[in-house]
Amino acid sequence: MPARLTILIAEDSPADRMLLSTIVSRQGHRVLTASNGLEAVGMFGQERPQLVLMDALMPVMDGFEAARRIKDLAGEALVPIIFLTSLSESEALARCLEVGDDFLGKPYNAVILQAKITAMDRLRRLQQTVLQQRDLIARHNEHLLNEQRVAKAVFDKVAHSGCLSAANIRFLQSPFALFNGDILLAAFNPSGDMHVLLGDFTGHGLPAAIGAMPLAEVFYGMTAKGFPMMEILREMNAKLKRILPVGVFCCATMLSLSFQRQLVEVWNGGLPDGHLLRTATGERVALVSRHLPLGVLEPEAFNASCEVQPLQPGDRIFLLSDGVLETRDSHDRQLGEERLLQVFSGGHAPEQLFDEIQRALADFRGEAQDDVSMIELCMVDEAALVRPPLLFSDSGQSSLLDWSADFEFRGEALKRFNPMPFLLQLLMEVRELRARGGALYAVMSELYSNALEHGVLGLDSALKSDAQGFAHYYRERDQRLQALQEGFVRFGLELMPQGAGGCLRIRVQDSGCGFATDSVCAASCVSDSLSGRGLRLVRQLADHFQLLADGSGAIVEFRWTAQA
Amino acid sequence: MAITALPSGDGEELIIHIQGRFDFSAHQEFRDAYERVNVTPQRYVVDLQHATYLDSSALGMLLLLRDHAGGDQARISLVNCNPDVRKILSISNFEQLFKIA
Amino acid sequence: MSDPHLDQSVRNSLLEVMGEEYPVLLDTYLFDSEERRRQIHAAMDDGDALALRLAAHSFKGSCSNMGALLLAGLCWQLEEVARRELLDQAPALIEQVDREFAIVRILLKSERQRYR
Repeated sequence: MPARLTILIAEDSPADRMLLSTIVSRQGHRVLTASNGLEAVGMFGQERPQLVLMDALMPVMDGFEAARRIKDLAGEALVPIIFLTSLSESEALARCLEVGDDFLGKPYNAVILQAKITAMDRLRRLQQTVLQQRDLIARHNEHLLNEQRVAKAVFDKVAHSGCLSAANIRFLQSPFALFNGDILLAAFNPSGDMHVLLGDFTGHGLPAAIGAMPLAEVFYGMTAKGFPMMEILREMNAKLKRILPVGVFCCATMLSLSFQRQLVEVWNGGLPDGHLLRTATGERVALVSRHLPLGVLEPEAFNASCEVQPLQPGDRIFLLSDGVLETRDSHDRQLGEERLLQVFSGGHAPEQLFDEIQRALADFRGEAQDDVSMIELCMVDEAALVRPPLLFSDSGQSSLLDWSADFEFRGEALKRFNPMPFLLQLLMEVRELRARGGALYAVMSELYSNALEHGVLGLDSALKSDAQGFAHYYRERDQRLQALQEGFVRFGLELMPQGAGGCLRIRVQDSGCGFATDSVCAASCVSDSLSGRGLRLVRQLADHFQLLADGSGAIVEFRWTAQA
Repeated sequence: MAITALPSGDGEELIIHIQGRFDFSAHQEFRDAYERVNVTPQRYVVDLQHATYLDSSALGMLLLLRDHAGGDQARISLVNCNPDVRKILSISNFEQLFKIA
Repeated sequence: MSDPHLDQSVRNSLLEVMGEEYPVLLDTYLFDSEERRRQIHAAMDDGDALALRLAAHSFKGSCSNMGALLLAGLCWQLEEVARRELLDQAPALIEQVDREFAIVRILLKSERQRYR
């Protein structure tokens, strides 16, 4: 039995109207009456009854027209209209059901009328519930979208401290990338190297986005401090392992491009092959995933070892997210690696490849891609890139002058610890050195790697004469470093005031002969060799350079005069 | 997608068969398969012969199984992998954590 | 007891539904019926088949509600004739309707008397 309803009765015969009124009000409802269609529509607009009993044939405006208008006024809500009719033709009855919801014949049967009112009211309330739930869902959806917008805004602030707009980068990233779990980061480190990370978190939506933020913070923070790639990888893995639930991880490829040394270090854990194209030979080198994704292994088990590849200016590296290979066409076939490789071997000019890949994706899919991430990096000459100035978090008012410090890093320390960020942080406390921060980083890194690789590990830079030798060299380096028991690298830092300015003197010494005259000179004479660049650069950047007589070290100086 | 789990006669091994798409929708079923058994197996075998599709959530689920089975002490084999499945496992280097046949 | 002019079971359920208002219903019907008959005659005089049809249809409805089944049947026939625009057949039916209504009116008026 429905609750008390307000029911409108539109019937032009007074006796019938009276009879029906009485029947309905005795059933407990509030009754409104109208004697023609026009009155009925007016009454409806004013009183908004829940149900209408409508005579089909009335003067002024007939029942069908009145019913149509009432339905219009009702909008989304269901106001059941029961036609009152003694029409017997099927067509007429069908018309009643087209415009209205039911019909009742004459003579009126009170029992049947009550049953119909009950049934119609059930439908009315069902419609009401549907609309309420729809509105509730819409509101919730709006909340969710809003939360996502906020999350994205926060993330964008973190993510955009990078250098994706550098001249040697082209990239494609969906606006929904964050919520697909895709992340693309790029930043210069203080020595001018470029770190790049393409990541793909498992899952979608906010959970995928949440892992991206700490990852970006570690990437940008440590890159800015000059930490080497391997340590950044270790820290990113450890962080994700710590905070993400089991089963959630981030497939990633990380690169470190050195424009000074014209090489790239690569680490790929779980993403499809990256592609390195050598423009001179047309050779394509696959950058294969050799590691588990980030966030899976405990720190002790994590392997941060990278591949190193030499590069010439013009060589290009392409990294693509999973989404590219998973792209499906209208027949649900996957794009796959084959298709992509066809683009690479399709004889296109290197600078066209990025567009060609995009075109291949669009052609295949039949529409523009909006859920893939792709980045192209080009090796360029050192001078070709504009680096942003180093940022410091203090006001630089206090100054650290007139001091000296000596450090010795031995066997175990050399294996597991890169002292560069630590030493450089110390030096950046000297306000006057900040303007030459970039050069300082570059010089210190070069001296350190020279001391370690040639002095302590005894590696011969002549090996780095071609790409193959290059790979061999770095493998040897890893092996020898793993096996290292003894040896040391010493840094002596001395900061002295000099006249109106000052001087930083750095003395580097290793336990071997990393700076032996013959190898250094030989290397620096071969101006195009892959190995000669390092120390030549040091000479260029420092104000003074001097080798120690026994070949075990070098001294460099940076001088400055007071600002006018 | 259907997942069935059968313990071996001696209860030492649990064999989980995956049929159909092994993706996020299989999450609860997969967990139930290895959590709701009366035995405590020493070894697990995941049979992927009839698995038509594997994505990163499936990899995540395998990691959950590994965690349940003792982490580094777990002994889990992934068997009857078709070339597509093998490819995905190879790119993610999962053979470093699971025995793959 | 079935009465062809006024069905008693209909009358009983009307009485039950209307209660005290029963006499008012009778009055309303009688008054309205005069109007319907006038409309029928006017439509016939104008030769307006549609108006005749609508008036007959309406009258049929209220008659059936009151239990005047014979009268309702005659109205239905009149409605059909008007629908097919066979106006030459209408006058005979209208005459029958008038006669039947005369009987129904007498019966209802005497019924009405019982409730004064």
